[in-house]
Amino acid sequence: MDTKKILEILCAEKGISGRENEMSDIVKQLLGDFCKIRTLTTGTVIAEMCSNESSYHIMLDAHIDRIGLTVTYIDENGFLCVEPVGGIDLRSLPGKAVTVGNGIMGVICTMPPHLDKDDSGLDRSKIRVDTGLPTERVRELVKTGDSVILKSKFRELLNDRIAVSALDNRAGCAVLVKCAEMLRENQPPCRVSFVFSSQEETNESGAKTAAFILQPDEAVVVDVGFAKQDGVPSDKSGAVGCGGIISIAPVLSKNITDRLISIAENRNINCDFEVDGGGTGTNADGIAVTAGGIPCGVISVPEKNMHTQTECVSVGDIEACAVILSDYVMGEGIRNV
Amino acid sequence: MSDLELLKRLCTADGISGDESRVRAIIEDEIRPYADEMYTDAMGNLIVFRKGRERAKTKLMISAHMDEVGFIVTDITSEGMLKFAPVGGINDSAVFAGQVLVGKNKISGIVCSKPLHLLSADEKKKCPKMDSLSIDIGVCSKEEALKYVRPGDSIVFDSFYDDSEGRIISKAIDDRFGCLVMIEMIRSELPYDMYFTFCVQEEVGLRGSACAAYTVAPDSAIVIEATTAADVPFSEGEKRVCLAGGGAVVSFMDRSTIYDKEYYDMAMRLARENNIPAQTKTMIAGGNDAGAIHRSRGGVRTIAVSVPCRYLHGSAALIRISDAEAVSEIVRILASEIAGNDKTY
Repeated sequence: MDTKKILEILCAEKGISGRENEMSDIVKQLLGDFCKIRTLTTGTVIAEMCSNESSYHIMLDAHIDRIGLTVTYIDENGFLCVEPVGGIDLRSLPGKAVTVGNGIMGVICTMPPHLDKDDSGLDRSKIRVDTGLPTERVRELVKTGDSVILKSKFRELLNDRIAVSALDNRAGCAVLVKCAEMLRENQPPCRVSFVFSSQEETNESGAKTAAFILQPDEAVVVDVGFAKQDGVPSDKSGAVGCGGIISIAPVLSKNITDRLISIAENRNINCDFEVDGGGTGTNADGIAVTAGGIPCGVISVPEKNMHTQTECVSVGDIEACAVILSDYVMGEGIRNV
Repeated sequence: MSDLELLKRLCTADGISGDESRVRAIIEDEIRPYADEMYTDAMGNLIVFRKGRERAKTKLMISAHMDEVGFIVTDITSEGMLKFAPVGGINDSAVFAGQVLVGKNKISGIVCSKPLHLLSADEKKKCPKMDSLSIDIGVCSKEEALKYVRPGDSIVFDSFYDDSEGRIISKAIDDRFGCLVMIEMIRSELPYDMYFTFCVQEEVGLRGSACAAYTVAPDSAIVIEATTAADVPFSEGEKRVCLAGGGAVVSFMDRSTIYDKEYYDMAMRLARENNIPAQTKTMIAGGNDAGAIHRSRGGVRTIAVSVPCRYLHGSAALIRISDAEAVSEIVRILASEIAGNDKTY
């Protein structure tokens, strides 16, 4: 399927952390024809591709949850008190449109200029959502615990870049889908599990529990990374359009990282690198120490405006990451290293 | 006010101050069969005369503005990022991470800043100032950007529109709503002759209406507007200014005008007599084209009737349809009363 189409399907207004089960039908739609799909108790969705010849097992992980907000209280005037789910960028909220619960549009409340004299800054305890409806109607339509999703249009920028909310990490999920489509044509020599893991944005629990259940021989995590732009350190970022960012870090398997780098070189993909002194801030940190330990690698799609409603990635980077992963699986990862 | 489909077309049309032609074209098409005279003046104001059943005793001008707030491209960096300035009063906080459309070709862009994860604790809690932001349209160099956009291009919010459940969420309700009320009056049979002015450049200093009022030279004027409703959380009492759902807003005074006292009383009386919900502003705040019109030529008796609007100059402003209907009804009755009576005190 066309990568943009995959992204548009994946960036549906659903599936904030803890509500990933809302995404299982979408994974089935994209991969159900050629993978065995199952959903774990954590909400993590696994799509499995088996090989007849080998029991060597590679796990490819991308978290499928998106950041958002959740309704905690409906006040006497019908305004919704909300709490962030995941590390939402508070700076992006004031005055923006959101979708509440079952598709009701709302606006994040702001103070008009004549009252906006308070310079103490954004306060997460003061975020309110206005649906504009009378209180009784709000109480009929909205319940505490309902999701609130940052709205944005699915927009194409120039040079095949896509701007929309939820690209962290539906862009990573799109890499897995593209990779699965490539492997489908080539028949992988080993067992592959595509793990669309839950709750990365809250406590990284989905990937860790999935890794425990699967006990793979190794795992590669796909996430989004920082795009190079003004004020972003160059050793922590990759240029949008470079093809992807490969992580180098003490907690990762050197063999996997080296293998990913050499595949990128063979394919003439000019990956950038993110070098960390310890953990990577991705699911790999937890997967690596699951059960008796699982060797991990990380590849990321460079992204702008992370954790806002206008995250932005390049379609070419998603496709390049998928090529690298597909080659990686076809070479059976680090099995023969 | 009944033509919600037209309001949607008006609100989603792009027309920042100084670039109102697309909005004007929609209005011209809608009123052409009904207007007795219609022309666009040197400023871009659309001036319309509509004959009524009788000649007016008081020459009345009804006015609303076509322009909306937005941005303008000021510069392009060597990396191809667009720098921009606000056109009209936009809060810094409403801008970051917004979706926008740039220039005539509606190039999609997003407003970018440094990512959250790399900010200090202090920076995370402050909305970035507009001059620290830039717009990404997906290019990597100034040369490439210049193929699609250039300094001076207009920028508008690429926003959502929803008119379900008795309320409207959209950009540019200020003041396309006022334009709709006037269009519907022009399309209906009027009791007296009246002038209608669809003005430009309200948001950058009440500039179009000053010239329109000079040209029309009315005795009296009614301004139809959208005004800030501050009935939001953490705002109390008089600081709420006016309430969404509280009816049409009739002002006695704001930052630009002390309104005609007799007209103010008349509007409130007519609302009461006709069971139309009305309220006034509980703070002396804001301003609109009345500020220019009432001191045009030798002076014009002026009143403003507004729809209370939350998040007025943002990408997602919000009004109640019941309030919009109340404004429309009061303006019709008030216009008839003013035009049908002698102008003198």
